Amino acid sequence: MITNELKQTILGALKLDDWNLTEQTTAPEVPGWDSLNHVNVILAVEQKFAVRFKNLEILKLKNVGDLQRLVDAKLGRP
Amino acid sequence: MILWNRWTENARKRPDRDAIVHWVAGEDPYRWTFSGLVRAAECFAASLTERGIAKGDVCAILLRHNRHLYPLYLAVSCVGAIPAILAYPNPRLHPDKFREGIIGMSRRSGLDWIFTERDLEPVASPLIEPAAGTTIKGLHFPLEWDMGTTLSGKARDRVEAAHRAAAPADPFLLQHSSGTTGLQKPVLLSHRAVLEHVRLYGEAIRLTDTDKIVSWLPLYHDMGLIAAFHLPLAFGIPAVQIDPFEWVQVPSLLLEAVSRERGTISWLPNFAYNLMADKISDEDLDGVDLRSWRLVVNCSEPVRHESHQKFIERFRARGLNLAALSSCYAMAETTFAVTQTAPETEPAVFAADRAELSKGMAAPARTGRPDRLCVSSGRPIDGCRLKVVDENRREVADGTIGELAITSVSLFDGYRNYPEKTADVLRDGWYFSGDYGFRRDGEYYVIGRKKDVIIVAGNNVYPEDVEDAVGKVDGVIPGRVIAFAEDNKDIGSEQVAVAAETNVEDDAGRKALKLAVVRAGMSIDVTIAKVYLVPPRWLIKSSAGKPSRRANKERLLEGA
Repeated sequence: MITNELKQTILGALKLDDWNLTEQTTAPEVPGWDSLNHVNVILAVEQKFAVRFKNLEILKLKNVGDLQRLVDAKLGRP
Repeated sequence: MILWNRWTENARKRPDRDAIVHWVAGEDPYRWTFSGLVRAAECFAASLTERGIAKGDVCAILLRHNRHLYPLYLAVSCVGAIPAILAYPNPRLHPDKFREGIIGMSRRSGLDWIFTERDLEPVASPLIEPAAGTTIKGLHFPLEWDMGTTLSGKARDRVEAAHRAAAPADPFLLQHSSGTTGLQKPVLLSHRAVLEHVRLYGEAIRLTDTDKIVSWLPLYHDMGLIAAFHLPLAFGIPAVQIDPFEWVQVPSLLLEAVSRERGTISWLPNFAYNLMADKISDEDLDGVDLRSWRLVVNCSEPVRHESHQKFIERFRARGLNLAALSSCYAMAETTFAVTQTAPETEPAVFAADRAELSKGMAAPARTGRPDRLCVSSGRPIDGCRLKVVDENRREVADGTIGELAITSVSLFDGYRNYPEKTADVLRDGWYFSGDYGFRRDGEYYVIGRKKDVIIVAGNNVYPEDVEDAVGKVDGVIPGRVIAFAEDNKDIGSEQVAVAAETNVEDDAGRKALKLAVVRAGMSIDVTIAKVYLVPPRWLIKSSAGKPSRRANKERLLEGA
């Protein structure tokens, strides 16, 4: 389950009005989410949730579900 | 001499020195010594001869960041075949578009074999069917080969016979620009051109035995292939190779590698200066020491003074020396470098009067007048000559803006099987680059280009490819599309913009159409950053009857 907060943060970083983001969504499926913009998405998420990701954590992300789980783990959410 | 002989000579002289440090984030790097690399290449070469790969065969290599890529590449050359490293397709690239790109290359360059990973087999297999009409004879999956670590007597004889047959004037490598509509231009370079270039460019940057290159650059790009791979490998010094996909996600990896490995030289396209200055956090710089970095060479995109300033301000506290900033003008057609600034000297910056620039002259800006800060790309390296020419290809005076023409001992002979394109750009031993610039105090400043190619983060995007993809979108009037470069100061690069004519008028329909245009870009792995929808017959036509990119871009940006 992708929270609305995370979804809006990602869409905001990509300047997209709307896009269906599921746990399985990968970056190449989303308009504007290319390799250059990836760092902007990550920075926006870090800023929004006041968390810091380690380099390896970023490199292991395969889809939006992974990103959601990483944010949840950082925030101590179950 | 041929490259293989140089590599084996290095393996004899410095067997235990690192040749390539294969960097993978979070792991200990894999270190190929010069002797280990050559031994592995010999084993690959024996496997290649067993599989019938022969002298002159063009071998496309499509592998992700993998330590076996390097010995495979050397092995292809060892048997007299011609390696061509191509970009491994991004998942967003539509399989049809990927195949169209390869078919286009095959027509031009006579591609014989593809060396790739099993994952790509379903997408690549149709290319070898007779109906595909390509020259490709087969696919190989070299990462699965069981080769052993030493050669039998017979295998060694075969390998030695293969490389003994090669001569310095033989083709050594093929570089291919990317693209999906058959516009790719294959550049073929001989052993002699590459070896000569390595020598001359090495002198220009005062390369020494103690240098160590650190690079995240893709090897399908001339800057990665020639500067960061062939130069160190032929010179006998180590190169640290970082995965470009890892670097772009975690840009601090380059600094970490420079710091840990005591790297001395890197080449970077301009956008990388902005990316690293803006996106790396203080935490990621903990313990990073950049004092060893003696040259950070800005190349392959127009050099921006503000990018250099950002970079030095951000990393000065980590030991980055202002004099390490450097710039270079380079292209695949001349093997690589044409000009280079003096090593360990900050490139000259010239404040040109904007009004005079628009009249074709580079004159110093007077106080209070708008200026443009132009960064020097330095002087021609030995073996290269430049001139600035007008539209009739006549040389113009210093300070006059014109096209840069180059002649060089490492100049290519022409695009492979592309005589009409070759005739456009190559005349009487001079290559007409399509880049605009001027000369001042013996140094060259590159400020723009005649060609419409869009350079996004160091990668060339052909507007024709984008227009072809967007022209097929429902709602866009076919043939009434232009793609062009828009400057983006924040990222220190260009981005792709599209203007398309449409009859769609309602807001919801136009919103959906814009998204469909962006998705058409995604299908060819191009990010379209801005979409302008315009009414029918809005786009200005050129004399050839097609919408003019330049005139329409000006009209759109003036109205913005």
